[in-house]
Amino acid sequence: MKAFVALLKKEEMALFTSPIAYVVMAAFVVIMGYTFTLTLFLTHVPTLVHLFLQIYVLFLLTVPIITMRLVAEERRLRTLEILLTSPLTEASVILAKFLASLSLIVVMLLLSYTYALTLAVLGAPDWGPIYSGYVGLFLLGAALVAIGLMTSSMVSNQIIAALLSLSVFLLLWIIDHLGWLLPDPFNAFVVNLSLLVHFRPFATGSLFFSDAGYFLSVTLLGLFISVRALARR
Amino acid sequence: MPRPDVIVVERLVKHYGARAAVRDVSFTVKEGEIVGLLGPNGSGKSTILRILTGYLRSSSGSVRIGGVDVTDHAARNNVGYVPEDAPLYDWMRVREFLRFMAEVKNVPGRAVDAAIASACAQLDLGHVAGVPVGKLSRGYRQRVAIAQALLNNPPILIFDEPTNALDAYQVIAIRQLIRSLAGQRTVLVASHVLTEIEKIASRIMILRDGDLLTADATNEANRAPRFRLRIVGPRQAVLASLRNVTGVVAADVQTVSPTESVADSVDTAAYLVETVSRPRIAEDMAQSIIGNGFALAELVEEKPDLERVFLDLTQRATETRAA
Repeated sequence: MKAFVALLKKEEMALFTSPIAYVVMAAFVVIMGYTFTLTLFLTHVPTLVHLFLQIYVLFLLTVPIITMRLVAEERRLRTLEILLTSPLTEASVILAKFLASLSLIVVMLLLSYTYALTLAVLGAPDWGPIYSGYVGLFLLGAALVAIGLMTSSMVSNQIIAALLSLSVFLLLWIIDHLGWLLPDPFNAFVVNLSLLVHFRPFATGSLFFSDAGYFLSVTLLGLFISVRALARR
Repeated sequence: MPRPDVIVVERLVKHYGARAAVRDVSFTVKEGEIVGLLGPNGSGKSTILRILTGYLRSSSGSVRIGGVDVTDHAARNNVGYVPEDAPLYDWMRVREFLRFMAEVKNVPGRAVDAAIASACAQLDLGHVAGVPVGKLSRGYRQRVAIAQALLNNPPILIFDEPTNALDAYQVIAIRQLIRSLAGQRTVLVASHVLTEIEKIASRIMILRDGDLLTADATNEANRAPRFRLRIVGPRQAVLASLRNVTGVVAADVQTVSPTESVADSVDTAAYLVETVSRPRIAEDMAQSIIGNGFALAELVEEKPDLERVFLDLTQRATETRAA
């Protein structure tokens, strides 16, 4: 446990001492601020649905930047050799990297919570959809980080890792459009692979176990493949 | 009481795709030995060390470290590993890095500070403890890499090319350091520099193209002694009398000036004689020479020549493969 805590601390330090985290957070806050202000002034409705959908897109674009270096960089610099010849398991290395990256997602979500507080000051928002939206965003973030970690574990070039995860994200974003073109029962299967199909209910205030199960399954699958990729040496 | 084997490698094979990097290698290392693994670049040294440390998985064969199979994570507690070129976290300060490594190596909480202080003292890192690793010279990086290997006081130390790309002073310092660390520990050092290995190790293994050519090159050298003689007499007759001695493998005139032939000269000449290892062979050669009426001016047994063994073995391996 102590070794895992040390590993997690090291990953947090690596993340929060690199400029990448701050650039991503700054871009996130600026774009969110613009979207929030614009939608509030245009609609005059105290809701964060538009903001959540905007965050969904931003996560697809920024998570590859957060996760690209996680394993690929350690592989390239050969620091994995130091790490994996100590009595650590591959699973603990992956889990520490996952939790550290997820903590950045949580910080970004906490930053965006200021908009919910602003709504509370200006009016009386319906808190149900706001909380369900945050649950959805957290689950989405976890799934995306796991996929990003998986691609980073498979290659030693971080740019390729970023491009690979971005490609997977974009595919999972639009795959429902392809699904509708397929015959039964393939259409239902492919449509259900879509990130947006499972995220939209959260953003609009509907919580379904099937949607949460989808994100948890993607997360676990991503972590499992990451561990296998790291163990394949 | 015989010392136990702390590293046991049996029929180790490692393939990278279709290429065999290590072929059927077996050896043992006894407790307290300082063993050198010598071989040209690409001979499979690093691959073997990485398998020994659990970083790589073998394609087949087995490795036991301190009685524990290397695939078991517990085996890593017994090994301190210093990889080639000291891959470290450049953004960490030296003390920070050592603390992190001590914690991941499960050094008990109270002992962490003492372990770091001891490693820093042993490697003279105290004055750079607050410096980021990325700002250190190569020599100091190597010291930090060695320090992290010592933190949990492992009984086995493994070094991969420890003096690579260091300047002459750093090479001497690191060499002395490794020898001083040996003491009660078992040390395995890989290098492609013969003179380095010769100065550090008490036993040398030679590797070529993934094959272990010998598990004890010094013994190999001792098994084929070489004598240098100065004899007065007709050279062909002297050579014949030397070759008649039982155990002589080869005898040749060592130097002949370009203007004279071996057959013509009857002056004093130096002879180089290779023999099998046999008691009293020097006396038998002297007796044969004197008995044939020649004058023996000098007979010296040459120190075992590792370079010769290395060249002979690697050349033989190349010829065998070509055949």
